[in-house]
Amino acid sequence: MKGLNLALGAAGLAVFLALGEVVPRLGLVKEAYFPPASRIADALADEFTDDAFWTALGDTLTGWALGLLIASGAGIVAGILISVVPYLREATASTIEFLRPIPSVALIPLAVLLYGTELTSVLILVVYASFWQVLVQVLYGVQDVDPVAEETARSYGLGTWARVRHVLWPTALPYIMTGVRLAAAVALILAVTAELVIGAPGLGQRIAVAQNSQAVPEMYALVVVTGLLGLLINVGARAVERRALAWHQSVRGEVAV
Amino acid sequence: MRRLLAAVAVGAFLVTVTACGSSDGSDSSDSSSSGGTTKVKLGVIPIVDVAPLYLGQKKGFFKKQGLELEMTLAQGGAAIVPAVASGQYQFGFSNSTSLMVAQSNNVPVKVVTNGIASTGVQGKDFGALVVKGDSSLKTADQLEGKKVAINTLKNINETAVRASVRKAGGDPDKVKFVELAFDQMPAALDSGQIDAAMVVEPALATVKSQGGREIASPLVDVAPNLTVAMYFTSTSYETQHPDVVKKFRAAAAESLAYADAHPDEAREIVTTYTKIPAAVLAKVTLPAWPADPDRASLDALAKLGQADGLFKTAPDLDKLLP
Repeated sequence: MKGLNLALGAAGLAVFLALGEVVPRLGLVKEAYFPPASRIADALADEFTDDAFWTALGDTLTGWALGLLIASGAGIVAGILISVVPYLREATASTIEFLRPIPSVALIPLAVLLYGTELTSVLILVVYASFWQVLVQVLYGVQDVDPVAEETARSYGLGTWARVRHVLWPTALPYIMTGVRLAAAVALILAVTAELVIGAPGLGQRIAVAQNSQAVPEMYALVVVTGLLGLLINVGARAVERRALAWHQSVRGEVAV
Repeated sequence: MRRLLAAVAVGAFLVTVTACGSSDGSDSSDSSSSGGTTKVKLGVIPIVDVAPLYLGQKKGFFKKQGLELEMTLAQGGAAIVPAVASGQYQFGFSNSTSLMVAQSNNVPVKVVTNGIASTGVQGKDFGALVVKGDSSLKTADQLEGKKVAINTLKNINETAVRASVRKAGGDPDKVKFVELAFDQMPAALDSGQIDAAMVVEPALATVKSQGGREIASPLVDVAPNLTVAMYFTSTSYETQHPDVVKKFRAAAAESLAYADAHPDEAREIVTTYTKIPAAVLAKVTLPAWPADPDRASLDALAKLGQADGLFKTAPDLDKLLP
């Protein structure tokens, strides 16, 4: 079954690439603005031999990883704190609902004013966007705690920390992993957007330079790289999720009685 | 409950204060000196225009003045003015109209030296009003009621196109301006989404290679030898570090003169910070790189900008220019 899926996936990709090659060559779209797949591949190969490309890739990954780390850490800590401390949830709910829908890109002028085109500017956008993904999932996760389990733990005399560790955390973990996986994708989008719009060093900036330079195949090649990066990140995040939740029903599968 | 809210409020306030404080703490507005060289950050856009400074850096003109130049690429001039005003960069590159708008809004910017100037030759400038090869449009006044693309509304290129239309005897208010990035103009023109476009290099070379026609040189129509863009700093940096500004001006002047005299080397250096294909770069019309801003042309630009309603109050060029 898995083999068939893989074959079908490969076939789909092959058809897509073939279309990308043939359609411009037949003149259905202008070659100047939509170069054939082979020319994009050539440009991609050229990029791989360029040191500046690898530096840019490193910059983008740094912004992504740091941003995701900060956002996940802050989201988990803040989420658990808000849920555990009495009244805090009610006190913060309206603020969270007010701040959460603000699009991260709307903070670009602020970021530029404070930090210019540095990594910090990228981090502001990345952290702001991915923090909410994690926080909200943590809040839902904590809410999902079984009251019977919670009361049982209480009656067995478990302290706050022990209850967080043994009751709250295992319940919330699947939600947290979903939050982190979503945040990983959002973080990449925002990292590239920040580079593209602000001009912070990275793949996004390289795309912008290629675009300004009328270097069309190079631009598409870099876009393909960001796409591949997103794919890898998603696959990686799923793998991490599966490992962290190996014990959980959703991954383990229902045991037939 | 009330105590809790107060604690949260105080906490939030402290976070805000420390956040602001930390941006001062990692103060990049003060140029760090090490071993007699001063490090300065220059915000530029990855286009042909700034080639002289890359060339000057390579030739050691800045080192000679004891400056270490760090070029920071920004996407579009919109990010550069606030970054210079807030001290993230010491120097920046921006077009003349944007600087005038900033000045008239009391943003503390001060011009250091010239950036680029129009070649002043009709039909042989680095920017042009172009139409598709088979278009019936021949002169700028025929643009009345037509869709004309410019990169930014209410900025230098709108002023310039309006000047061309006016000069040809048309009414610029009847032109339909649409905002489009330079790099998208060749495709939009080709597919007929727009009737004409105000393009600059390298998009101009692309349009010409597709058989596009120039119908006016708007930057030339504003004034002969129009100063199109300039290097600038913030007024506070200028008062605090007049020596650095003076050295930057000297090094930039040498770089501009060198680039003007050695166009091939200028073309060559462009490949190091852009991806302009060699075939396109060979056909690119370079701007002129005089060392000093042309005051008369800037006066004309300010007057036209005011007529078009770009400024709330007229820009004070005496304050803006060195």
